[in-house]
Amino acid sequence: MAVCAPNDVGTMFTEMADEVVVLQGESIGETYLNQEQILQAASATGATAIHPGFGFLSERADFARAVKKAGLVWIGPSAQAIEKMGDKMTARQTMRAAGVPVIPGEEVEEQDESAALEALREASTRVGYPLLLKASSGGGGKGMRAVHDPADFDQAARGARREAVAAFGDGRIYIERLLSGSKHIEIQILADAQGRTIHLGERECSVQRRHQKVFEEAPGPTMTVELREAMGQAAVAAAQAVDYVGAGTVEFLLAPSGEFFFLEMNTRIQVEHPVTEYVTGVDIVREQLRIANGEAMSCGPLMIRGHAIEVRLYAEDAANGFLPSIGPLSVFRPPEGPGIRLDTGVREGDEVTPNYDPMLAKLIVWAPSRPEALQKMRRALDEFVVLGTITNIEFLRDLCDAPPVVDGSTTTTTIDDLWPNGWNPPAAPMLEEASLLAAASAETLGLHRRSTTVGSDNGKGPVSPFATIQRRFP
Amino acid sequence: MQHTFASKEGPLEVTLARNGEAFLLEGHELTPHSRGRMHVRMRDGRTCLVHAAKVGDIWWIHLQGRTYRWERIEPGSSSAEDEGGLVAPMPGKVLEVLVKEGDAVEAGTPLMVLEAMKMEHRIVASSDGTVLSVHFNEGDQVAQGAVLLELE
Repeated sequence: MAVCAPNDVGTMFTEMADEVVVLQGESIGETYLNQEQILQAASATGATAIHPGFGFLSERADFARAVKKAGLVWIGPSAQAIEKMGDKMTARQTMRAAGVPVIPGEEVEEQDESAALEALREASTRVGYPLLLKASSGGGGKGMRAVHDPADFDQAARGARREAVAAFGDGRIYIERLLSGSKHIEIQILADAQGRTIHLGERECSVQRRHQKVFEEAPGPTMTVELREAMGQAAVAAAQAVDYVGAGTVEFLLAPSGEFFFLEMNTRIQVEHPVTEYVTGVDIVREQLRIANGEAMSCGPLMIRGHAIEVRLYAEDAANGFLPSIGPLSVFRPPEGPGIRLDTGVREGDEVTPNYDPMLAKLIVWAPSRPEALQKMRRALDEFVVLGTITNIEFLRDLCDAPPVVDGSTTTTTIDDLWPNGWNPPAAPMLEEASLLAAASAETLGLHRRSTTVGSDNGKGPVSPFATIQRRFP
Repeated sequence: MQHTFASKEGPLEVTLARNGEAFLLEGHELTPHSRGRMHVRMRDGRTCLVHAAKVGDIWWIHLQGRTYRWERIEPGSSSAEDEGGLVAPMPGKVLEVLVKEGDAVEAGTPLMVLEAMKMEHRIVASSDGTVLSVHFNEGDQVAQGAVLLELE
């Protein structure tokens, strides 16, 4: 069973569900963040458990509590664990107490805007530049600002607070030293109610743009067995410090010195979990369901095999400052083949709207070695056809050829280092001419007037070389 | 078989030559197959499958991992381009207006902050100039393509 907002009726996930309850209301607050309506939907359909997915209510302790109070199973960690980790400032304090190294920085508890700004300004001089401002309730880059020059501090702090208030209703901000040249390494953990807590190795997600991950892989290209063991143990200790039960991710920064620091713990399944599933063979969502049902997790000793890479397909114009784009998915043809997985929320004929996050799908590949996985990703991206809406496919494809990606030396600033003045597609005059020939020929042939394709309407639809064949399978 | 497409350098006239079923341009040869399929043999001998779709006036063309967009200009129409106008790239809400009428700005000066898809986007001056008019106030909702400010 699924719930959806009125403007999501007819989208892919609603069609995949056996039953759909349409939530009433216009804004996200009235729909996907409306706990009461969601609990009513569960009761109306006879659902016995709620999986919150990622985003929206997935890291809301009050919702976890409300679900349990309603007599339903919450597929996630306890409300207490979510609270301790969800408030990033509390999490830093808990981790310090548990002996897990945290990034040098300061927490500011002030609520009042001017007092908070004053306290932050003072703390900034002690933490030192460059620094990061982060929302205590934050995540996904929202309410976060990097500051390199004290002159920019006030504007950045105000912006971070405003974004934090808008996104989370909580303007508290803390400061961290910005550790440049670091890698973002995170450890997937699983813990069951029987008291077993394990880690499933690391994912490297250093390649980020505005603190949003775009390219994730497992194992980490520079990881050693010793470091994996040390980070894995720290992650398990972090989870145990909050009596964690379920699937979760402990994020670390790995500094060039080889030291690692706790960043935060995500108390939910993560967008990039498929790379771990590919290399460990563990179906993490299945384990979540088992654990929520009170069963022991089913996975045996950790065994990492081959290499997996995920890229996030966004509806955004990479050549134009990565602005979100909208439009029809007139043609949406994902690649196929062994070791290729697509987790998608859209399909051909859908409309990309400005209502929600511009992420369309995740493309994941697996191969026995990292160079082979990277080559498979290049091929998969080349074959991925999306027409009607601008996507970041060509940017992702270009990324696969960037030297730090090829040699595995990526850091959290790789994208900015590679393209300080913004990204533009590499010039390909021959292909551009050929595409102009194709456009002019298609116009001459009147291909757009031959409505022969799935999803086309009144001749305005797409022309596909495949959908018109109309093969029939006995 | 002459078509005009918009390009950064201005209208681009394309005249196709024919060779039997095939279309020719600058040494590239396109062969339409039945049921809408197309192949291009490029001047350098490479051959590739082409996907094409028209949305509005724009042809979206995919080949060899690249997607190109060609906006067709109807014969007789002029391409209206708002010189100096800064348009909203996305539907969203105006969070901050950082300039007022008459302000002199340099290329790169932030002019307005928009919120769209829960993120803040800055509208910056694309060139040096003077702010002629500001069309929206803080808190206003703007549609995609709305002219936010005009620069001279």
